[in-house]
Amino acid sequence: MTRKSVVTSFISAAGFAAILGAASAPATSNISVDSGTAAFTVNTNVSAISVKGKSGALQGKVQVRQTSEGLKLEQVEAVVPVASLNTGMGIRDQHMRKFIFTAPDGATPDLKFSAPEASCTPSAKENICQISGELAIRGVAKPFNIQLKVRENGTAFRASASGTVKLSDYGIEPPSQFGVKTANEVQLQLEFTGKQAPTYSASAAVVR
Amino acid sequence: MNRLLTTAAVVLGAAGGGVLQQSAYSLPTMIRLGYTDCASCHKSPQGGGLLNEYGRGIDEAQSLRAAEYKPTDNSIIRGLSWGGRITQDIRTVTQETLSSATGKAVTGVLRNRWMYRNATELGKGFRVSTVVNIENEEAPRPLLKYERPDRVGNAYVSTALLSYRRGNNLEFSVGRDQLPSGLNVSDLGLFIKSRERMGYYDAPTQAKMFWWGKRHMVVPYVYAPGGNEPGGEHEGGGGLLAEVDVFGKHRTVVGMNMLRGTATNYSRTQVGPYARLGFGRWGVFAEHDITRRSLVRPTAVSFDQQASYAQVFFAAREWLVAYAGIERLSVEKPYADHLVAGRFDLVARLNSNFTVGFSSRVQQNMITGAIGPSLALQVAFKTSN
Repeated sequence: MTRKSVVTSFISAAGFAAILGAASAPATSNISVDSGTAAFTVNTNVSAISVKGKSGALQGKVQVRQTSEGLKLEQVEAVVPVASLNTGMGIRDQHMRKFIFTAPDGATPDLKFSAPEASCTPSAKENICQISGELAIRGVAKPFNIQLKVRENGTAFRASASGTVKLSDYGIEPPSQFGVKTANEVQLQLEFTGKQAPTYSASAAVVR
Repeated sequence: MNRLLTTAAVVLGAAGGGVLQQSAYSLPTMIRLGYTDCASCHKSPQGGGLLNEYGRGIDEAQSLRAAEYKPTDNSIIRGLSWGGRITQDIRTVTQETLSSATGKAVTGVLRNRWMYRNATELGKGFRVSTVVNIENEEAPRPLLKYERPDRVGNAYVSTALLSYRRGNNLEFSVGRDQLPSGLNVSDLGLFIKSRERMGYYDAPTQAKMFWWGKRHMVVPYVYAPGGNEPGGEHEGGGGLLAEVDVFGKHRTVVGMNMLRGTATNYSRTQVGPYARLGFGRWGVFAEHDITRRSLVRPTAVSFDQQASYAQVFFAAREWLVAYAGIERLSVEKPYADHLVAGRFDLVARLNSNFTVGFSSRVQQNMITGAIGPSLALQVAFKTSN
């Protein structure tokens, strides 16, 4: 067999496998996110001071459907545990949890975002998804819009998102410490990789 | 006693390190958490001095105790603070240094410096700042053939400034102080300090302006002799320091300090690019100063000097920071000098009052081959209010 025919055969086999895979792929994929990154930046009234925080414990799940117009997202849910948010300064973290995330009843519920659905606009490299949903802080859900940029990477999806939260929307007074007061608007940045959620056979489900 | 002092100074000069850190570990390392300038936490935008109330909160937060800062409710101290208009403290730094050089015995020096620092708000934006120092052992700059160190005795005033702040980002100061510098690190024994007339006793009379914003700081300054310089070295001149936060994320500051100074014996032109980078738990400082000196005495000659410093720091804990740095000094003929040094420092801030530090340094003279190691243990204490 010549080298050319080997290559041709390989391409044919790969193409055939791809077609088979596409034909057998479910119309809707359950995508889960584990250990994503959620970061925030908030400016203060002192020009050189801004507060940055980060969590590496973003979790989420979404149903993704490939349509002729692009990706369609359904049942979007994401959670960031408040305890996982870290600004690099222990005292400041305590202040953040106390003044931003503690509800009147003393509980500190996780941040939760949910949206019923969203459509994405495909471009050359990525899909741009405008998601209108609700973000819950202190357990209080308020409308929240976020723009998600999604790149398909095999069966996985690499995504980044950015949005702005207004503390005043949640009735939260911006914290102040010795004359340094944070702004009302908090910039959010998310980075995560979504992967096909594992599916379980009937026997496995029984075992579980 | 004088002979002992001279010997100690020569050995320390040969080792090139182990001198008392005046500011006892100020925190330019806070750029790792997005603090790009000194004005956020210090009374003076030049930094290194008394802390403002927010800075005292950060100072306490960055210690092992990590408690909430609460202004004192002691009636005597509150009375002394003139209703909050006077910020003052007493600080003492004690350091035991062991140093040596090839072919020389190990020498131990116990240094102790006491400082009284005061910043009094006069109202309408005016402030008077004073730092008075008393020490048991002098820590002059190295004695060079073309440049002699300033001397002050065992008591001296390193800062006497009248400042006027307009708004939140503009300040004018006149008086006696250290000149603005790129890397505002506290060890003035570094080549980028001690070989650039920025030793512990260099406090020229000066007028300077600080203008800073979210992404920049600009500091033009002019200066005249401080009065304690050796004859023929009463230097006056001017300069400009400018820095910018390159990406606007409060993590990457680069700047340049340019200075021109003249005295009877010489003139010098210095250009010093520098960078401060912070990335969460670690960061990098770097500075490279190029200085051209034109001597009139003892002989008319011009030569270049290059002094470099690079340091990586890592905050293992908020209160425990390790530093590793390298230094290099190169001076052209006829005063050829070529020194290379490496150092490691470990600093623990126990609370807002106590800081302890360990420092080790090895320097090699690349011309003579002489190696000078030094070890230092430092304990710093300051009153807090």
